Amino acid sequence: MVMSQNLLTEVESKELLKKAGIPVVEAKLARSKKEAVSLSREMGFPVVLKISSTDVVHKSDSGGVKLGLANAAQVGKSYSQIISSVKQAYPEARIDGVSVQTMAPPGVEVIVGMSKDAQFGPVLMFGLGGILVEVLKDVSFRIVPVTERDAREMIKEIKGYPVLQGYRGQKPASIPALEQLIVKVSQFVEKNPQIKELDLNPIFAYPDKAVAVDARIILE
Amino acid sequence: MFEEKLKEFEPIFYPKSIAVVGASATSIKAGSLWVENLRSAGFPGLIYPVGSSGGRIGDLKILPSLRLIPGEVDYVIVAVPRQSALELLDDCAAKNVKAVHFFTAGFSETDTQQGRKLEEQMLDKARQGNMRIIGPNCIGVYCPEHRIPLLMGILGENGSVGFVSQSGGIATKLVTIGIARHINYSKGVSFGNGIDLDASDFLQYMAADPKTKVIGAYLEGTRDGTRLFKTMRKVAEVKPLVVWKGGRTEAGAQAALSHTGSLASSAAVWSAALKQAGAIEVHSLEELTDTLLIFQQFGHGQGIRAAIIGGLADGGGGNSVAAGDACIENGLQVPPLSFETKRKLSELLGEVGGILCNPIDVSQAQFRGLATLFQAIDLIVKDTIGDVVLIQEDTEILLPIYSQKGLEEINEFFIELAGRQNKPVIVVLPPGSVEANRLRIEQRLLEASIPVFGSMERAARAICRLNQYSCWQEAK
Repeated sequence: MVMSQNLLTEVESKELLKKAGIPVVEAKLARSKKEAVSLSREMGFPVVLKISSTDVVHKSDSGGVKLGLANAAQVGKSYSQIISSVKQAYPEARIDGVSVQTMAPPGVEVIVGMSKDAQFGPVLMFGLGGILVEVLKDVSFRIVPVTERDAREMIKEIKGYPVLQGYRGQKPASIPALEQLIVKVSQFVEKNPQIKELDLNPIFAYPDKAVAVDARIILE
Repeated sequence: MFEEKLKEFEPIFYPKSIAVVGASATSIKAGSLWVENLRSAGFPGLIYPVGSSGGRIGDLKILPSLRLIPGEVDYVIVAVPRQSALELLDDCAAKNVKAVHFFTAGFSETDTQQGRKLEEQMLDKARQGNMRIIGPNCIGVYCPEHRIPLLMGILGENGSVGFVSQSGGIATKLVTIGIARHINYSKGVSFGNGIDLDASDFLQYMAADPKTKVIGAYLEGTRDGTRLFKTMRKVAEVKPLVVWKGGRTEAGAQAALSHTGSLASSAAVWSAALKQAGAIEVHSLEELTDTLLIFQQFGHGQGIRAAIIGGLADGGGGNSVAAGDACIENGLQVPPLSFETKRKLSELLGEVGGILCNPIDVSQAQFRGLATLFQAIDLIVKDTIGDVVLIQEDTEILLPIYSQKGLEEINEFFIELAGRQNKPVIVVLPPGSVEANRLRIEQRLLEASIPVFGSMERAARAICRLNQYSCWQEAK
């Protein structure tokens, strides 16, 4: 388990990213069922609820994520379910509450990550989401600072690149939007050397934009 | 770019005087070897052997201490045990020495606290004395122009290729292969643990050095990856930079740690850093020397469309098929000949027996004589479909058909052909059953600045790397 004081919550991570101009699906913390419902109304349905606790690493596996909640009743019910199933899975976990965000429409899933190399310092990683990253290790790397040209090359370098160009009726992903996002992440980690690791996973890429749906930041 | 390095490194690559500490008149010590080798190479500056035994090496008196040297000393080669390192640096500082090269090993590469601590103390002393350190644990500088040979006295011709190697063994290989393949160096260095001057410093110097046109590097690791990355990025802007990273596997990385005290990064991160910096990554000594050879000859890429000529005498069929595959699989394009060239070739050679597309099997020329063969090759070279001309030459087939004289004539034609038009001519001369004849031809072609490779695959990869650099430059 990660040292909890160094791991920022999704809400905290996304706030920092948003300030840096990196597009994210904004998440807000609800400390109660009532708060979750009113935040959902504010944001507009459908929404996603996720457990907010730096002690919980595998949010979905512990029943800590509920997707596509269409109304206040579903939100209320899901809030209670999330809290109780996470408490069961992680009895020791300190729980802040539940994060609320709008449900992003499906796009091409990609990931951008940053880790620190012993010799070259911060290194960005890019790949397609899901199985392509986990099983096939189809990812590309670049050293920070990453220029627009570097970003373009790191996107084109992965074997799964054709998937981004639209495949079997799926809409293409905006390459310029992904380039911009990568360059901004590079600038962000360059300005903030106290960041040890960063994961934007997944990012949904659309024909006109790319948005980080989940994010986590670990500090040194 | 990095012009300030030229003056700073002058005493390293062009010292007016060299002192060798650890020299002895009686025993075959590394120090004595250095003195002998500098003398026999014809080093134009002053040489001062220093050692406790006294006596002479040739006409040079061995002095008991560096401090007793009458004149100024630019560069000191140290071949005494590490226990004397700190005291020696005091002597160097007292003599106003500019640079100290430690051949001595046994520092951080042993992965001991003691070794690392000693390196720190050496560095402190060097800074205080305004001196630069090369090494420790390395064989130092190679500069044919200034008659500074490698450790074993190896000295090739002066040329335009620079090299930077963390390893002395690889440095030696680069120079010896260079001598065999006419890769001629402007200068080179092996810097071992690189506690002071490291790859970045030497790359900057070579980028500034007007005598260096292309730079090859063998690296195992770096203490300052950020600086190395930024340096490579700048260097690659002005000169082709070819890098072989050693220690890409776990076994290799462990060896690198005990070899030069280098920490491991993943191979993928190194590859990314090299690509991003605009350096050309290679994966072996063979690829490094192949790439340096072709850059030395052509400087930059001229395109990747190859006109491949095979079957100079016979046996062209299968070889041509294989050559086409090898070229395309290694990144070249092999476009068909133009209709016009094809027509002229079939008039010249007859329609049956040869493959007149591309790769082009000109074996039918054997029935019509060498003049016809040369005419056919001329036609192919003139066809605009090819950026480069690749000739597959099988010595053991040519020799019985054309005899030694014919063989020589054919190769003189290649040399003449390369000289009278602009397309690069590259010869693939695979090893076979008449090695002595083949080697003579290889030497003759290399002397005449025609790159020669042992296989079509290697030639194709080298041409692609030449092009990779040009594409990188254009896309800037």
